[in-house]
Amino acid sequence: MSKERLRLLLASVATLVVVLPIGYLWQQSLMPSTYSVMDMGYVDYGGGPRRSGDDGHDGHDGHDMHDRAGATSVADLTERSDRAADVTVDLVARQGTVTVAGREIDGYSLNGRTPGPTIEVTQGRLLEVRLHNRDVEEGITLHWHGVDVPNAEDGVAGVTQDAVQRGEEHVYRFVARDAGTYWYHSHQVSHEQVRGGLFGTLVVQPRRAPAGVVDVPAVMHTYDSLTTVNGTRTDHVTARPGQRVRVRVVNTDNGPFQAWASAPYRVLAVDGTDVHGPTPVEDEAVTVTAGGRVDLSLTVPADGLRVQLGSAAAVVVGREGAEVPEPDAPGAEVDLLSYGAPAPLGFDPADADRSFRYAVGRRPGFVKGRPGLFWTVNGHLFPDVPMFVVREGDVVRMTISNSSGDVHPMHLHGHHAVVVSRDGRRATGSPWWFDSLDVEDGETYEVAFVADNPGVWMDHCHNLEHARDGLVAHLMYDGVRTPYRVGGAPGNEPE
Amino acid sequence: MRATYRVLCGLTMLLVLVQSAAIAFGTFGILDFVSGGDDYTKSIAEDRSADAGGLGQNIHSFGAMAIALVAIILLVVSFFARIDGGVKWAGIVFLTVVLQWVFAIVAFSAPVVGILHGINAFFIFGTAMTAMQHAKAVEAEAPATAPA
Repeated sequence: MSKERLRLLLASVATLVVVLPIGYLWQQSLMPSTYSVMDMGYVDYGGGPRRSGDDGHDGHDGHDMHDRAGATSVADLTERSDRAADVTVDLVARQGTVTVAGREIDGYSLNGRTPGPTIEVTQGRLLEVRLHNRDVEEGITLHWHGVDVPNAEDGVAGVTQDAVQRGEEHVYRFVARDAGTYWYHSHQVSHEQVRGGLFGTLVVQPRRAPAGVVDVPAVMHTYDSLTTVNGTRTDHVTARPGQRVRVRVVNTDNGPFQAWASAPYRVLAVDGTDVHGPTPVEDEAVTVTAGGRVDLSLTVPADGLRVQLGSAAAVVVGREGAEVPEPDAPGAEVDLLSYGAPAPLGFDPADADRSFRYAVGRRPGFVKGRPGLFWTVNGHLFPDVPMFVVREGDVVRMTISNSSGDVHPMHLHGHHAVVVSRDGRRATGSPWWFDSLDVEDGETYEVAFVADNPGVWMDHCHNLEHARDGLVAHLMYDGVRTPYRVGGAPGNEPE
Repeated sequence: MRATYRVLCGLTMLLVLVQSAAIAFGTFGILDFVSGGDDYTKSIAEDRSADAGGLGQNIHSFGAMAIALVAIILLVVSFFARIDGGVKWAGIVFLTVVLQWVFAIVAFSAPVVGILHGINAFFIFGTAMTAMQHAKAVEAEAPATAPA
């Protein structure tokens, strides 16, 4: 072989050494035009019993999960009660120009407005929502964020239903079992549709609501860099001095914000669950996780009060025309790990049947063929993410850690989990039940929950840009399968 | 191949300039946004809204990938370019680019590392310039002969 040929050969080999691994990683990141989430990544049993009939190994055996004979379809996990609905709501979704706080934006509306109408229902009542897609091109769904609905009503395109196409409708039906503050939003192309305004508030009132309390939903949303509350910059609510108000703060954004007030307040509820023994808070702010809700209780002073939601939006409560100056932002914040008084959990997190790890990191690579800097779950990029498998009745522990350099509001569908510890410090206050939990960079949370709602559930970052970039895993129950697929003719694209 | 090598070196230098300009554009965009009394929130940062410096940040994100791609192509071209020291210099450019990504990733948790990210940009520029000059010098000393 001539020297020149040898040189060319060496150059070609060196090229392959550089290019082949990159090409391989790119090829591995490509997704088929349609796939089941049950085929994704690897199965994680969390040290618990494996599925009946398995040869019992963790690995890429998801491909056969949806074909299992005798498995219950997600589509059959509907509301048990077949009685007539107590409350019926029609929501018509449209795409186009919407006006928010005097500014026209390209977005979405429900019944002609964004945020969509606030749905109110009394605890124990059966709610039926008929969703009509008038002209949203990519299709839509509604996810009942924080409500532990039956799996078929969870509204995740490609996991629990197909996206509702233009001109079609879909009915959601469930009993509002737990009183609290929730919200609903599209879970189809959610990073665009939620940002563009396809969402609203759901309030489940307790059977015996305290009399004389003024209920104030405060829905925070950022439209095209415009921070708003209830679709305006400062919302005014009329109430008499001395009257109690319950401000239901809902964060529909991709990032956290802080809320504080011009008067002392108590944190009545977090993510729809009442805080046990809430104490008065002064000169402290409370952080509202993206996707999370915080209910504040205040008494209206003679000259009114102001609940500040970040420095750009506020709710003023008082006599008509009351003006309340912006209170200084407190330097300290309420730590929900120690806020309130302890109470029984109803289960023992120490006696867990399964323990999972959900470690979020970040590294360069490819996701769905796109190069960039992406999130990892347990060291792997999407779609090589875990499928956490549980059985009904399991006590489940999950360690969520974050070394990614960014905050992640982790959201498990269909369940409420309780915080056991943060960075090794045990929770000492009221049980901190959540469905959306801010895990900041460098933090580790231990959380626990009871697997009491069979189905296939997303467990993802509710910074929806992060979810689109692959920060998504799923929790599935043994013996349940989903017939729905991401992609395909309905164009299901949950993130 | 030598010409391609030089062009890629020049492109790397140009991209470093674009990156510096873009991140300055993005940062001043944020300052201008907050000077109007608005909150620069996590959501606005994620949205990359043009009102709040998002265009500059988007260019910077895109440019980071473009530089990585050019550095890889430069390395591959160096294998075939028959430039004495060409592979070495292309390798050095590639390593400085890798280092730049590492500094960026670490800086999300430890912002002080952003200082190294800024300084290393000059190293990328400088090594790309040296690689280009090296290719020129080699060419001047030993011009390519026409095939017989």
